[in-house]
Amino acid sequence: MSADPIPLLSVENLTIEIGGASVVDDVSFHVAPGRVMALVGESGCGKSLTSYAILGLLPDAAKRTGGRIRLHDLDLSALSEREFRKARGKDISIIFQEPSASLDPLTTVGSQIADAYRTHNKVSRAEAYDKARQMLADVGIPDPDRRLHQYPFELSGGMCQRIMISIALICSPRVLVADEPTTALDVTIQAQILDLMKKLVSERGTAIVLITHDMGVVADIADDVAVMYAGRVAEIAGVHSLFAKPCHPYTALLLASVPTLDDAPKSDLATIEGRVPTPDEFGEGCRFASRCPLVTDKCRIEQPPLFDCGDGHRSACWHIDRMPELMEAAA
Amino acid sequence: MAQYVAQRLLQAIIAIFGVLTIVFVVMHLSGDPTLLLVPQDASAEMIAQLRSQLGFDRPIGVQYLDYLGGLAHLDFGDSIVQRVPALDIVLSRLPYTIQLAAGALVVAIGFGIPAGVLMATNRGGIIARILSAVVVTGQSVPTFLSGILLIFVFGVTLRWLPTSGSGDFASMIMPSIALGALSMSTFARMTRISIIDELGKDYVRAGRARGLSLSQVVARHVLRNASIPVITIAALEIGNLLAGAVIIETVFAWPGIGQLAIQSIQSRDFLVVQVIVLLISFVYVLTSVLADLVYVIVDPRIRLVR
Repeated sequence: MSADPIPLLSVENLTIEIGGASVVDDVSFHVAPGRVMALVGESGCGKSLTSYAILGLLPDAAKRTGGRIRLHDLDLSALSEREFRKARGKDISIIFQEPSASLDPLTTVGSQIADAYRTHNKVSRAEAYDKARQMLADVGIPDPDRRLHQYPFELSGGMCQRIMISIALICSPRVLVADEPTTALDVTIQAQILDLMKKLVSERGTAIVLITHDMGVVADIADDVAVMYAGRVAEIAGVHSLFAKPCHPYTALLLASVPTLDDAPKSDLATIEGRVPTPDEFGEGCRFASRCPLVTDKCRIEQPPLFDCGDGHRSACWHIDRMPELMEAAA
Repeated sequence: MAQYVAQRLLQAIIAIFGVLTIVFVVMHLSGDPTLLLVPQDASAEMIAQLRSQLGFDRPIGVQYLDYLGGLAHLDFGDSIVQRVPALDIVLSRLPYTIQLAAGALVVAIGFGIPAGVLMATNRGGIIARILSAVVVTGQSVPTFLSGILLIFVFGVTLRWLPTSGSGDFASMIMPSIALGALSMSTFARMTRISIIDELGKDYVRAGRARGLSLSQVVARHVLRNASIPVITIAALEIGNLLAGAVIIETVFAWPGIGQLAIQSIQSRDFLVVQVIVLLISFVYVLTSVLADLVYVIVDPRIRLVR
C-alpha cells in the first residue's frame, strides 16, 4: 500500500461466524481520509458481511467473534446498539446495491432525505428540506424542487442511487461504505455514479470502502484493493501494484479471466477450475488450495499468513516466488 | 387516478347487478314460493289463486323485470308474515347489527393489528408465543361455542355481564368478543405476515443504516407498507362480520338482522330473507370499493400512475 496518512477506519482481525464456520476470517485493512479501499471477491467471499459489520448491521445469524473496528479513535465494535445508532448515518454511511429497493416506496424522496438529516440534527422540517434540496443539487440532480416531492417509483435506478448517496452524505459522514453501488445500473449510469463518488471523495475527504466484484470498477476508482477469497484476505495492495504485479495465484487468475479487447474474437474466456469451498469445507490449509495451480502439500496443511512482497503489497501465499511461472502460463 | 376510480365503481355496479340476479335465480330455483305459504291441506285452486295473486304464474322474464323495477323504487315487497314492507322490518333491526358489528370490528382491529405487529417484531419471544396461542384459539373455536362459553363464564358463573339482550355497553361486550374473535385472528395473522415480509426488504436495512432504530423504521415506514394487504382483508372481514352475526345474535338474543334472518327462515318469510341477503351482499361490494379507494390514499403508485 502507498504511504498512509493516519487511518480513519481500521478493521483489525475481523472474524465473523455463521453457525460455527468463520465466513469472515481475520480480515484487516485500513482506509485513510479521501481514499477508496476496494474489497473485491466473488459472491459469498464475505465482502458484504464485512461491510455490514462496519455499520454494526450484521444479520441475526451472523456473529462477530473477533477483531475490532475503529473509526479514528472510537472503537465501534465496543459500542452498544443505542450508541452505534448515533454513529450510523452520521459518521459512517452506506449505499446499497439495489437503490430503488432501498427507498421506502410510499414516502417521497425529499421526506426520506430530510428524515436522514433530522435523525442526527435538531432542525425544523423546513431547514431539513433546504438541506435536502442543496444535497440533491450536489449529487447532480436537476430540478431538485420537483424531485423532492416525487416517489421512488417515479425515478430511474441511477436517479435513485443519487438519492441514496444524498441520504448517505447529508450528515457529512467521514466514512462511506458502498456495497456494489453500480451493479444494478446501466453501464453509462455506472460511470456517472463512479465519477460522482470520486468527486465527493476528493471534495469532502470522505473515506470510501467499496464492495465490488467488478475489476473494471476497481481500476476506475480504487486507491487500494483487498482481494477476498472464502472469507479471508488473499492479497492487499495499492491498485497499480495489484494490477501490475499480482502476488497471489487467485488474483492473477481473476485478472486473467477479464476479457480484453486484444483477445481473439470468440476465443474461450479464461476460467478458474473448481468452485469456492463452502464454509464447512474450510480446512486447516489455504482456502484456495483446491483450485490453485501452484498448490503443494504445505498449502493443504497450513494457512499462509500475509507476506510482505514489497511496497506495502501483501499476499497470503506460500509460493509468491513461483508467481512468475504462473503468469507465464496464463499469458 | 380518475380512471382507476371509475373502473372500480363500474366493477362494483356489475357485481351488484350480478348479486341481484343470482338472488332472484336462487329464490326461484328453490321451488314455487307459493307452496311455502299455504297450509298443507290447501286445495289446488287455493294454491293457484294465491299464485296468481302473488304474480308467480307469470313468465320468469316478466317476474325478473318486475323484481328489478321494484328494486329500483326500493320496493322489496311486503313481509308475508307481518304484512309490512320487508325493507322496513330489516331497517328497524339494522342499527342493532351495525352496533354489534362495529363492536366486533373494534375487537378485531384493536386487538388483532397490535397483536400482529408484536408477533412480527418479537419473533420467537415470549410475548409472540402467548399472542400466537390467543390467535390460534380465536381462529379455531367455533363462534357458537365461544359465545356459549363466554355466557357460562362471565354471565352465569361470575355474573359480571348480562347473558343476553341489548341496550347498554355491558351487554355489547361478550357478543362483540365472540363475533370479533375470528376476524381478530385473521387480522393478527395477516398483519404479522405482511410485516415480516416488509421487514426483509432493503429499505428497512437502509433505514437502520441512517441511524433509525428498528422500532422507528417500523413506525415510519414498515406499518404503512404492510397495511396494504391488511386493508384488503379488512374489506372482506366487515362482510364476514355481518354474516357471522346470524349465529351470534341467536346465541345472545341480540335483536339484529341475524336473528331476524333466522326467524324469517323459520316462518318462511322469504322476502325478508331476500332483503337481508341483498343487504349483506351490498356491504361486501361496498367495502371492497372502499378498500380500493383507501389504496389510492395509501399508495402513491396507484394515485399517480393510473
